[in-house]
Amino acid sequence: MVLPALVPAVFVVAGGVGAAAMQSLGLMPLVGPVRFSADAYTGQAEDLFRALGLSLAIAAVSTVIAAVFGVGTALLIVGGRWCGRILAATSAATVTIPHLIGAATVGLLLADSGVLARVLGVPPELWPSLVGGPWWLAVVAEYAWKESAFIALIVAGTLITRVARFDEAAALLGATRWMRFRFVMLPLALPALAISSTIAFVYTLGSYEVAWLLGRTYPEPLAVMALRLFNSVSLTARPEAAAAAVLTTLVSFLVVGACFWALRKTALWR
Amino acid sequence: MSRTVSLHEVSKTFGASQHPALTGVSLEVPAGSCTAILGPSGSGKSTILRVIAGLERVSAGKVVVDGTDVGGIAAEKRGIGMVFQRPLLFPHLSVLDNIAFSQRVGGASRVASRRHAQHYLDLVQLGGFGARSVQALSGGQEQRVAIARALAAAPGVLLLDEPFSALDPALRDDMHELLDDIRRAEAPTIILVTHDRDEASAVADNIAVIDGGELLQHDTVDHLYNRPASIRVSRLMGGLNEIEGTVQAGMHVSPLGRVPVPANTPDGPGILVIRHEAIEVSPCTEAAAPPSGVIGHVSRVRRFGPRRMVSVAFRGGLLLHAALPPGDAVRDGCRVSLTLPPQAVSVVAVPIGPVFGEPGSGAPR
Repeated sequence: MVLPALVPAVFVVAGGVGAAAMQSLGLMPLVGPVRFSADAYTGQAEDLFRALGLSLAIAAVSTVIAAVFGVGTALLIVGGRWCGRILAATSAATVTIPHLIGAATVGLLLADSGVLARVLGVPPELWPSLVGGPWWLAVVAEYAWKESAFIALIVAGTLITRVARFDEAAALLGATRWMRFRFVMLPLALPALAISSTIAFVYTLGSYEVAWLLGRTYPEPLAVMALRLFNSVSLTARPEAAAAAVLTTLVSFLVVGACFWALRKTALWR
Repeated sequence: MSRTVSLHEVSKTFGASQHPALTGVSLEVPAGSCTAILGPSGSGKSTILRVIAGLERVSAGKVVVDGTDVGGIAAEKRGIGMVFQRPLLFPHLSVLDNIAFSQRVGGASRVASRRHAQHYLDLVQLGGFGARSVQALSGGQEQRVAIARALAAAPGVLLLDEPFSALDPALRDDMHELLDDIRRAEAPTIILVTHDRDEASAVADNIAVIDGGELLQHDTVDHLYNRPASIRVSRLMGGLNEIEGTVQAGMHVSPLGRVPVPANTPDGPGILVIRHEAIEVSPCTEAAAPPSGVIGHVSRVRRFGPRRMVSVAFRGGLLLHAALPPGDAVRDGCRVSLTLPPQAVSVVAVPIGPVFGEPGSGAPR
């Protein structure tokens, strides 16, 4: 039944990753002879590690913020009041906005001559470097905003279908609102939260457009590095671009694997 | 410690609905007693429990527990336990931790709360099941754990919202016995919602019959069967026999004849009701009717398990239904004498307007 969907998916993923891996190892050169080599990795090891650290930091911070706000929003949505319905509609609308548009919006909002600085009457020289600054705050803000809406909808879906009656049962056993969140809602929402957060993390790790638009030129995250090298006028940079892409993919697989390994150990998953 | 529950003119309307779920319900449940709330689906019986538990706010009236109006008290602070139709065991906790939940959220250590929980696990006869996952339990075991979990919170009032309706008859009998054991051991005030007359009679001291959001009668089990307050109650209790006539000086006069009725029955139009289980049917006979009996002809005999239901026809198309014990020899067309015991005869007012349902709606029990 799933074979028609599985075959093209495996072909694209395995083919894409395999081609990138072969290119990064000199086995699929655009010019010159085929020669196995790890030069694309070792020759730029320092840059790769710096880019990896930056990518992980951006993805981790924005995912944690998105998870906290996403769970909070999900609880308000499940609460069923009018503000919950507004939040659900806002979250659904937010998810449909492309990241590139979101990045441009955040840029216009947070730049030193942006809407926020003008509304608050802060001159550009006194406005903190949110866009293109050393702490990548605009990048983190954009990812956190967009991914919090995604996490909120996934977690709210789980809470609404599975948890509402459990919440009542817990209340009648004397659990306060906080205790119900701590001992019932959160454990039951954990698989959905873990999976949606992992998706958000992996997406943030692998996407380039927001960091490319709102971040600094150096150091650069892995995805931006891969794009820059791929678009380089020198065709010999292609293996290095592929090395950055392969490293991103490996880390993503590791994160996804760790998430499922942890989930399989929970009572709920069993 | 069991507690008294009183509802005073409680009404409840959901949202902008035109039809209230509850209308002026007043009910008194004494401490330590067991009351069954009986009614058809959608009659508002579960809403009564949710209002008492604090899961719904009343639109009017008040809920009083041990003399205190609990209207402004949150569900978690009312000291009222509830078991739902679905057990709602927390799937991320073991059986023992489910039962220990109330102690745990109350601030007890994991060890102390588990020790406390073990007593209740033993009480529901699942002593060795503590370490199991709740997914490894059968339906009956799940409901036992749900009851133990509710009891472990030491509620003064235990609300049971059709907790046994999904169980098969044998398991349901086991659960009724368990409820009896729990009443002996813990003596909580129990309010049980059910649509099953047999279940209500088996476990409760009193039954409150509700329909269309109105409380029709709250009385002992015997009175509800033999002295229904209205034709609606008679039908909801499974009454099959309704004979229109007039009461004159302690006798109900109808095409059936003159039947003695309780002494305090007022004169005037009235419907005679009598349980089919209470009517005594003679074997086929040519003898005259006994003093409190009538003569008719068997028009139909139907089997219900070991028992049979006999329909006896009278003048003017009148029919009486009677339940026969196994082995009685009657057959279609034979002349029989029916004895109507005075203690089982009752007269209810002729309803104004239509009465929903039919006599004996639901299979005879």
